[in-house]
Amino acid sequence: MSRERAPGVITTGAELPAMSAHEVDYAIVGSGAGGGTAAAVLAAAGAKVVVVEEGGHYTRGDFNMQESWAYPALYQEHGNRATDDLAIMILQGRNVGGGTTVNWTSSFRTPPATLRLWADRHGVRDVDAATLEPHFAAAEARLDVGPGNPDDVNANNRKLMDGAGKLGWHPELIRRSVKGCARLGYCGMGCPLDAKRSSRTTFLADAIAAGADVYSDCRVTLVETDRGKAKAVVAEVLDRATDRPRGRLVVHARKGVVLAGGAINTPALLLRSHAGTDSGVVGKRTFLHPTVPLVAFYDQPIESFYGAPQSVSVHHFADRGARVGYFFETAAAHPMLSAIAFPGFGDAQRRIAERLPFVQATLALLIDGHHDDDGGNVAVSRDGRVKLNYPLHASLREAAIDAIGNMARLQLAAGAREVMTLHETPIVIRSEADIGRIADAQFIANGHTLFSAHQMGGCAMGSDPRRSVVNTRGRHHQIENLWIADGSVFPTALGVNPQISVYAHARLFATTIAAEAGT
Amino acid sequence: MNRRQLLKRGLFGGGLLVLAGTLPFAFRTTALGRRPRRELRLLSLEEHAVLAAAAARLVPGDGAGPAWPTAEALDCAGKIDALLATCHPDVGNDFRRLLRLFESGFFGTFIAASPRPFTRAAPAEQDARLEAWRRSRLTMLRSGYQAMKRLAHAAYFSSPEVFARVGYPGPPEVPQVPA
Repeated sequence: MSRERAPGVITTGAELPAMSAHEVDYAIVGSGAGGGTAAAVLAAAGAKVVVVEEGGHYTRGDFNMQESWAYPALYQEHGNRATDDLAIMILQGRNVGGGTTVNWTSSFRTPPATLRLWADRHGVRDVDAATLEPHFAAAEARLDVGPGNPDDVNANNRKLMDGAGKLGWHPELIRRSVKGCARLGYCGMGCPLDAKRSSRTTFLADAIAAGADVYSDCRVTLVETDRGKAKAVVAEVLDRATDRPRGRLVVHARKGVVLAGGAINTPALLLRSHAGTDSGVVGKRTFLHPTVPLVAFYDQPIESFYGAPQSVSVHHFADRGARVGYFFETAAAHPMLSAIAFPGFGDAQRRIAERLPFVQATLALLIDGHHDDDGGNVAVSRDGRVKLNYPLHASLREAAIDAIGNMARLQLAAGAREVMTLHETPIVIRSEADIGRIADAQFIANGHTLFSAHQMGGCAMGSDPRRSVVNTRGRHHQIENLWIADGSVFPTALGVNPQISVYAHARLFATTIAAEAGT
Repeated sequence: MNRRQLLKRGLFGGGLLVLAGTLPFAFRTTALGRRPRRELRLLSLEEHAVLAAAAARLVPGDGAGPAWPTAEALDCAGKIDALLATCHPDVGNDFRRLLRLFESGFFGTFIAASPRPFTRAAPAEQDARLEAWRRSRLTMLRSGYQAMKRLAHAAYFSSPEVFARVGYPGPPEVPQVPA
């Protein structure tokens, strides 16, 4: 039974007292694609909902397009999250809106081949394209995902399209979650126009209009359980200037708890809480789409830092049979992120950095978890710190080397003067004859730049409680009123940018919660 | 823990922590250089001096001509100190141990035949030390180098004073649209 509520509010950590306790129907941890959608669905069904978010609340006037502000303010661990050995830098949002505040708007549905793999090998038999269809459609409508637009293609993406086209590799326009986009090029630092449709500007706003309250700057450290039921979430209220606790927030949940902190924080929270972790699979099989960048130098300016960051993708190599597949997209090469990615230091690096306007940056995203690689694992240290271990499996290294070669071919076909790998000792490629040298170079941890902007897995959904954490509607196998509604439920990497898949699965799960609760 | 396990655990798994613990006197001979440009929130004066000396070599400023600001002019070490002060305390502690290893002449001898404290080594010798970390066969040394390099480059290249040097005009004007 639905009932009208007064609109809710966003309360920041600075506005909270040192100690506070609240009682609601559902406590939701995280305000990104998953948490925002779950909050919207449950609040619309009449439930009293509270969303607890670790990051700060920022709006378009705060987004100053400066890397020096954006990465510390809007990303996990102030932009310094990485695997334990620092080999893979992890770009993951931490703010009201989560990853959707800083993603690059690329919008894909879960590929049918990935859904079939999950059905065949991971016991996800009742989540097919038809089941997800209304949820994809609703998410795309709310996020203003339109058809791919050729006018979005900047010079950086044009090179990807031209090179792939010449080689017969089927470039495609990317659908984007924008309305009124001015193509400034700063999606990763928060959109100063709110043209990007993020969780904060769509589903979370809907949830607040339907009565949900949001607490920002509150880091949930514990899910309290009692006799197989989730009872409450406990959070540290953070002082934004120091990021140190200055108080405590407790949200008692009459009906249930929904976790949506993302594929690293959600398993870490369960492990820290010792909540439903007996199966031993919580935090296992974490996938990252390990991302291998390559730069090409052109005679004419590319200025990849301006324009829609991603408008073209190439999935020609997504299915390589028995070998790990990958797909290509582009990156906007702003100075800070570029300098971190460029090899070397001092004067040697200066000579690369000075050519920044002429750089085209391509990414190969490796599709992990579809073959014999088990991804990484999330653990929690004794003092509660999140740790991510991700060994570079041999099959991923093979894919990375193959992808670097094909990215180089693509850039040469598009007319690049030269191509440079991001090995610490870079390989400069000017013709096909140089490409063989890529396989001769070591591909080792911290010997080549690697990123991840797509974190998935760690709390897989499935039908077998020994191999999965939640069922195929997001409900925890052991804790009946605990759900997970974020990218951690994916049994493997997706093979596409994950935002729409997270929105759609969260909507599927939340509508099921609401229907079963009769709210 | 055997040597192989130690190396596999990587920078923040404990390997460097153990090594740094064997170098209690590494900061005794540190050249402090210029005073910090802001009040330090995490690092000691000695740790700040090591970080400032490493950042000076890591970024293009020194030796690239007067148009390139130096790491010192942009207060890279102070910015890193302020950032690390907001990270998990373990991150700051690990980084402080890393600075101890960077500074140690004993460790410098071991990895690059460079026996002086890092802060007292000549620029070419400092570069050789950084190269030894960067190209090491040991994952934990490469990790240590990357930690230092990424923080220094983030502090430096996110500074508007550098934008013109890399041909970046900076953020565009934002069109006016109603709220």
